[in-house]
Amino acid sequence: MASTALRRLMAEFKQLSENPPEGLMAGPISDENYFEWEAAITGPQDTVFEDGVFIARLTFPQDYPLNPPKMKFMSKIFHPNIYADGRVCISILHAPGDDPMGYEQSSERWSPVQSVEKVLLSVMSMLAEPNTESPANVDAAKMWRENREDFKKIAHKHVRMTLEEDPPSESRNT
Amino acid sequence: MNIGVENAAPRPAPRAGAPAPPAPGGPPSMSSSVWQRLRSVLLMLCSFGLTGLVLANAYYQRQQFYPSVVYITKSNPSMAVIYVQSFVFVILFGKLVRKIFFGQLRAAEVERLVESFWYVFTETGLTFTMFRDDISPNFVVFFTILVFLKIFHWLTEDRVDYMEQSPNITVLFHIRMVSLMIILASVDIQLIAYAYTSTVSKGPSVQLVFAFEYAILLTILTTTAIKYVLHVIDLYGENPWEDKAVFMLYTEVVIGFIKSLLYMIFVFILVRTHTFPVFAFRPMYQTLKSFKRAFNGVLLSRRAIHVMNTCYPNATPEELANTDNVCIICREEMNTNTITKKLPCNHIFHKSCLRSWFQRQQTCPTCRLEVLEAPGQNRTNPAGVNNNNNNNNNANSGNNNNNQGAQQQPRPGQFPMFDPNMFMQGRLPFPMPPFPGVNNVGGQPGRPGAAAPPRPTTTQPSASATTTTGPPGAASMTPPPFFPMPPFFGAPFGVPPPLPPVNFAGLTDDELRAMEGQERQNVEARVRCLRNIQILLDAAVMEMQQYSSVAARLQPGVPSFPTTSTATQSSTTTTSATQSTTSTVSSSSGSVSNVTTSTSSTTYSLLGARPRVVAPNPSLEKEAEAVIAKMDAKTSHERKQEDPAIDPERVLSTLQDELLSSPSTSSASPARNIDSRPSRNEEQDEIRRRRLALFEQQAQKENAEESKKSN
Repeated sequence: MASTALRRLMAEFKQLSENPPEGLMAGPISDENYFEWEAAITGPQDTVFEDGVFIARLTFPQDYPLNPPKMKFMSKIFHPNIYADGRVCISILHAPGDDPMGYEQSSERWSPVQSVEKVLLSVMSMLAEPNTESPANVDAAKMWRENREDFKKIAHKHVRMTLEEDPPSESRNT
Repeated sequence: MNIGVENAAPRPAPRAGAPAPPAPGGPPSMSSSVWQRLRSVLLMLCSFGLTGLVLANAYYQRQQFYPSVVYITKSNPSMAVIYVQSFVFVILFGKLVRKIFFGQLRAAEVERLVESFWYVFTETGLTFTMFRDDISPNFVVFFTILVFLKIFHWLTEDRVDYMEQSPNITVLFHIRMVSLMIILASVDIQLIAYAYTSTVSKGPSVQLVFAFEYAILLTILTTTAIKYVLHVIDLYGENPWEDKAVFMLYTEVVIGFIKSLLYMIFVFILVRTHTFPVFAFRPMYQTLKSFKRAFNGVLLSRRAIHVMNTCYPNATPEELANTDNVCIICREEMNTNTITKKLPCNHIFHKSCLRSWFQRQQTCPTCRLEVLEAPGQNRTNPAGVNNNNNNNNNANSGNNNNNQGAQQQPRPGQFPMFDPNMFMQGRLPFPMPPFPGVNNVGGQPGRPGAAAPPRPTTTQPSASATTTTGPPGAASMTPPPFFPMPPFFGAPFGVPPPLPPVNFAGLTDDELRAMEGQERQNVEARVRCLRNIQILLDAAVMEMQQYSSVAARLQPGVPSFPTTSTATQSSTTTTSATQSTTSTVSSSSGSVSNVTTSTSSTTYSLLGARPRVVAPNPSLEKEAEAVIAKMDAKTSHERKQEDPAIDPERVLSTLQDELLSSPSTSSASPARNIDSRPSRNEEQDEIRRRRLALFEQQAQKENAEESKKSN
């Protein structure tokens, strides 16, 4: 038998490919390694990220689901809760006890009940509604609060970029 | 030297030579990969060309072999070129070995190599400064070999960890890993032996460092080998191997300990022979840290296993059928083949899943209820949680009947040295007082142990909650019974009532004799007797508070439970009833805490007084009220003044009169209509009746005493 983490990831992948949620796609990058996933998230409707298809990389720890995966956007994206290098800062991806500042309640954070699907859905709603209270990208948070028009311009530029370039996953898998 | 680590960042030549291993799953974008490959090939060709030039030049100048060699070794620029060339050879050899044993490296492996390599590089630099007197080409060669071997040790470690991640492990993988581990181990041992002989024959030198480094590498390799074996067992086993994580943890602790010990010895020796080894500082710190982490992990894991074995019941097949049957942690079905555990919040998980989660977080994964608490902290919990914990404690004993006692027996390989009862005892912060009624069911005179509990008022409820046989825990899921149930069996909710002992043995002759006569000590004995009644009342109040908290938790839709037995009589008490009694007892608690060792025996024999169910009688109620009021007045009076002038005799006699004047109420338990729900008043009646019955019992004792006296 394979390890618990591997079996759970396989089960989640199966579930995700059988009933994919709207606007989401995710799966392991290769059959050899189920601990590296790639996900495609479409920008939510009626937001600045509308129509964009953002590619992100999910890295799972050995003891998944006891610890959360790490998520990093490979596509360029300008968002208050995403670091400039693409790392996603969202409470659902933080293990309880990680937050020394006490910004987040432990109920929002990672537990084995969460899943890839829930993480991606949370990220999707985060795209729609940025949390500017504890921003990862301070510039983006400032612009979001004070200069929404400029923010929209940058977001549109990035959306166009995601549509123009080949999604990284395709170029990798061919 | 640095095989396969060169793709992370552009680095100065000639070290940035080798091409990057492509990312797993396919080559990265073509242009960058081709450029990197091209660059490394170019650099290599440069090196070869330069070497050729140097050789050609030397041969051209000297025309003969030996003079040419001498010329090259004498010329510094030529030697530099030769060094670079040998470096390139090492890299090429490393790439060959990597190709043979590893194939393509994964991105994560490359990342780790690069990171570790730079640490090793700086530490090597530090070592050089320490042994700068010893620096020679020999020394450089040894260090190259060391770093070379280190890299392969890391790679093996990573690859073995990767076994857990990949769904398809081929035979080739096993062949590669096993042969590589054997080779590395033999090389390590050889080099340790060499370093040892060199140190013994030539005295302490830089070889000490090598011996130590290879010893550390050997421990790393041992860990890797153990992990490999564990992974293989897991991989080819039929079922998921639940104890694997535990074994891994123990391996880590043992190896961590050995490594820490090695570092200590090394630092000690080096401080004696040379100076403090700065280069060993970082790895030593990291080793100690990881050892500490592993040790904590073992402690937490043991605690989790222990708490699960003792506190939480196994889920029954019915409970599993009622839920959706999937363990939320591993997303796999829970069936009767695997051990499942039910938390106080009614969430069910695989035991092994829960254990590994508890190692990290002590909450329910679903609702984040704090479930693993230090034993003493339970009292600060909200009532619901507290009661649930108690429930589960008792349910353990009850559940054994349902589950063939499976959960109590430690399974093989899972710390059989743990006594499951340890925790139960640990829950009680003070010694449990003996209960004569329980211990002496046969009706012998109550002769409880002489040791007095330090604080009887608080001890009793908790003690009784654990000593009495509670209802089976499984009952909490079954519908409430609507037919008469025997006592001790059918309480359909969590907390078993702290029952009065079954059998009342009465006062012993000695105790009675102590109360006879008019001497002051006799009077005191009688006063003590009265105090014992107060203790009894305290216990009753605690019991009622427990009940009221249960009643508050009950859903409105759940029918109240019929009161048929002594066990369930006061179960549905209301808060108002409790409050009235609380006021009574709170005034007496001051004196209660003064109960001394000598009185403890009477205390518990009095506690044995068995309450009887009596017919409802409003006049009786009033009687009881009056008695309580008397008691109140008496105790408060007593507390205020310690003056012996107080006449307890008088108080006692008035009390006795009160009690004796009440009609005999010790009739048999009336058959009540079980289906009718007891009204609020009736519940209060029950409580009062019960209380009164206790008084009456006491009065009868006093009566007997009186008659004895007169005789």
